[in-house]
Amino acid sequence: MMVVRVAIVVALLGLVITLGLAFRRDPHDIRTGTVGKPAPAFTLQRLDGSGDVALADLSGKVVVVNFFASWCLPCTEENPALVRVYERYRSSNVVMLGVNYQESRENGLAYVRRMGMGWTTVADTDGRVALSYGVFGPPETFFIGPDGVIAGRHIGPIDEATLVTGIETLRTRAAR
Amino acid sequence: MNGRVLVAIALLVLAGALVFAARPHEATADERIDQITTELRCPVCQGLSVKDSTSETARQMRDLVAQRVREGKTNAEIEAEFRTAYGDWIFLSPPLSSWSGLVWLVPVAVIAAGLGLVSARLRGPGAPAPTAPSAAQVAALRERVAREEAAEG
Repeated sequence: MMVVRVAIVVALLGLVITLGLAFRRDPHDIRTGTVGKPAPAFTLQRLDGSGDVALADLSGKVVVVNFFASWCLPCTEENPALVRVYERYRSSNVVMLGVNYQESRENGLAYVRRMGMGWTTVADTDGRVALSYGVFGPPETFFIGPDGVIAGRHIGPIDEATLVTGIETLRTRAAR
Repeated sequence: MNGRVLVAIALLVLAGALVFAARPHEATADERIDQITTELRCPVCQGLSVKDSTSETARQMRDLVAQRVREGKTNAEIEAEFRTAYGDWIFLSPPLSSWSGLVWLVPVAVIAAGLGLVSARLRGPGAPAPTAPSAAQVAALRERVAREEAAEG
């Protein structure tokens, strides 16, 4: 009888601990896959057709890679925050890079102009870059440090505070 | 007689055809693409494999798998590429060798523990080992027997 009681208590304790750990995690911050690993390299064509952008050329800078699409409503929700953060850091060593996801370049470019996105935007026409980053769907944002390692990832629309925190964490780390 | 021979020949031919169809053979490129995409989870669907999904993301994943097969990559190498990007989550059946493998092991362990518990309960507590009566108990019993015999006359 004693054994049964102990088994029940242990099982309940295990359940409580498991649920506690699971609910403690921020569902926007998925720490699987590429986080903590070198960012997959890519070279993509600019949406406006004015040449290519290679991630390797941005080495030594803090890079914010944002996957977006014009058909994605949450992308339009988060855009004002991205614009404000871009204006705040545009003269620093922080680079924002928009990766247009699963749509034609014409639609992507029209969206970029309509939404006032001044930062560099590139076309991931065949989705290969999104797949290599483990993207579930737009919007998703990755924070890449000057060492080229993905330090953080945000799934879903991002706000200004989260963007600034992600960027400042990497800038502080780089300054040490 | 002829009928039996014909039936026997037909059965032999059928068995031969089955053995021929089931013989081990190297999977074709298309079969490998099907195998891999059946195991991969579509990231934008609810419990659908990449093979079964009609979404754009699943189509792009199928294209990537097909390209890797054409490049001569093994199934393990292709699966490792997706694991690197998405973690073990990308597989519909969690691999045994990872933490996700607990999904398979925990139910087995719980069933084993339950069976052990039930068998222990069925056997019940063992009968207490008989102990020799003390001299006082023996004397009291003798006295009682003698009293009852005297009472019966």
